[in-house]
Amino acid sequence: MFWVFLFFLVLPYLLPFVGGYTYLGVEVLIWSIFALGYNILLGYTGLPSFGHGAFFGIGAFVAGIMQLRVTQGMWIPILAGIFAATFFGALVGLFLARKRGIYFALLTIAFSQMFWFISWGWDKMTGGEDGLSGINRLPVGIPGLFSIDLKDILNFYYFVYILFVICTILIWIIVRSPFGKTLQAIRYNEIRAKCIGYDTPRYKWLSFTISCAFSGLAGTLYVLLRNAAFSDVMHWTQSGNVIMMVLLGGGLANFYGPILGAGVFIVLRDLFSTLTEHWLLIYGLLFMFVIVFIPEGILSFFKKRQEKEELLVPRE
Amino acid sequence: MGVKMPSYVEFVTQIMNGFVLGLLYAVIALGFMLILGVMGVINFSHGILFAWGAYFAFTLRPIIGFWPALMISPILVGFMGLILEFAVRRSYGKDPLFGLLLTFGAAMALEQIIRMIWGAVGYAIAAPKFVAGPFMFGFIAYSKYRLFLAGLAVLLIILTWLFLEKTPYGAIIKAGAFDSEMVMALGIDIKKLRTLVFGLGSALAGLAGVIAAPLWSIKPTMGVEAIMPAFVVVVIGGVGSFWGTILGGLMVGVVTSISVMFMPRTSQIVMYILMAIIILIRPRGMMGEKSILE
Repeated sequence: MFWVFLFFLVLPYLLPFVGGYTYLGVEVLIWSIFALGYNILLGYTGLPSFGHGAFFGIGAFVAGIMQLRVTQGMWIPILAGIFAATFFGALVGLFLARKRGIYFALLTIAFSQMFWFISWGWDKMTGGEDGLSGINRLPVGIPGLFSIDLKDILNFYYFVYILFVICTILIWIIVRSPFGKTLQAIRYNEIRAKCIGYDTPRYKWLSFTISCAFSGLAGTLYVLLRNAAFSDVMHWTQSGNVIMMVLLGGGLANFYGPILGAGVFIVLRDLFSTLTEHWLLIYGLLFMFVIVFIPEGILSFFKKRQEKEELLVPRE
Repeated sequence: MGVKMPSYVEFVTQIMNGFVLGLLYAVIALGFMLILGVMGVINFSHGILFAWGAYFAFTLRPIIGFWPALMISPILVGFMGLILEFAVRRSYGKDPLFGLLLTFGAAMALEQIIRMIWGAVGYAIAAPKFVAGPFMFGFIAYSKYRLFLAGLAVLLIILTWLFLEKTPYGAIIKAGAFDSEMVMALGIDIKKLRTLVFGLGSALAGLAGVIAAPLWSIKPTMGVEAIMPAFVVVVIGGVGSFWGTILGGLMVGVVTSISVMFMPRTSQIVMYILMAIIILIRPRGMMGEKSILE
């Protein structure tokens, strides 16, 4: 973990040498938070949600609306974004707690769609098609003592970096706690976990809600990075993106997979979108390529064949 | 979000619109459910295949006329489905997420190809001449094309049902969905069966696209607009239930139309509210039974 933190600490100084820029670095950190949080649900609990883009979007819109219409601060919009994503996650989670597999995936798609249509239709609040713009990265600090100007992208990078470090440690603790072990037991065999006496729907609900909280945080930071909340933050492709990052990096096999996946994904996207205007085609084909050829992800290259196959099989 | 009161004529017209829309949703969801039921794959590209059907018909109709285009477009889409199945094959038996992501990627790629060939703008499509204009029910005028569409949809539903229930192929498909190992042990080539079902489901999507085109006008994003109700319809009707899917489609169609009458702004959201209510009362949907898909 130390090496991961060290790498991201010096990353802004390395990026110019390889033709990158700090903005890209921030994006990788934000999506890493999103993907790591999501992996609590997918990798550790084994629940295939295809709707976390909605909670990312809820975080983004609530933070944007709070800053534009309610308060001018930084912390209140961020906290409100996390709270809203967690709240709606908990609500949706109630419908999902007793489901798994295909039913679970279908329901998450449907619910994320509902939030998309609400954000699209409620244009008085969310700006509809145009989205919200004019969101500022205001200085943070202790009044009277010091304040950091986050308008500077490098300062904002380190602001996000600190949150990234906190989240990574938190998620590490969660998946290694007895609670996290129970989630893994549910992934391997839900019926057995139930028979031992665990209230599995409650654990699944908690796992869903916790992952939504991290999605919400990532959404608020994304809005601050772009200084705007366009309608696409809520789009269902975001749900696909985060799953892709987790799988591509090898989140099913390794704790750090989602971080690697987020990095590779964003660099590739940046590369292709500058190369061709038809990058959606390449993007789609990339999805297909990964699922057909390396569904277990980059970090499981060194695993044995049988171990790899076990990662992909749905559990009882 | 003002509530407006419709007149009697408007009310009847909208309810009829609801049934037509519902039948169309049911046909879309039927192909989707066939693939879901037999292969356990949530086929995200079902919507874009629907769009391809509409675009094929859009190009072919001026050349060969309406009826031949109605026949040939679904066959072309069916072949696209067969090709797609070669990739999807890799995800059978794995976590449902893999099939979902694979077809999600395919949907994005196929949507972009539509943009490259036909452009990003939409086209309005005229109804064929023999069903253009309104039909008079006493003093209520109703679109002839919608009636024609409803008739075609009912015919398709009946044909699909007859195929599944009354032919040996249907029996094998249903058996394959129930226990694929046993079907294999009986000497039936399950791989071929799956390819066939994927092609058939895709052709159904294409056919739905052809008949929906004059109603919705065609654009690259029409695929997503078609697949989203299909998810809801399948959840409402119950995964794996044929009549559940039809019932789900009709419920979604009618509820959407009623909301268009009273609160137009909520018309896209009511189907999700309906879904939430139904799974609270019946967790497996209206006619869903406990199955291997859970």
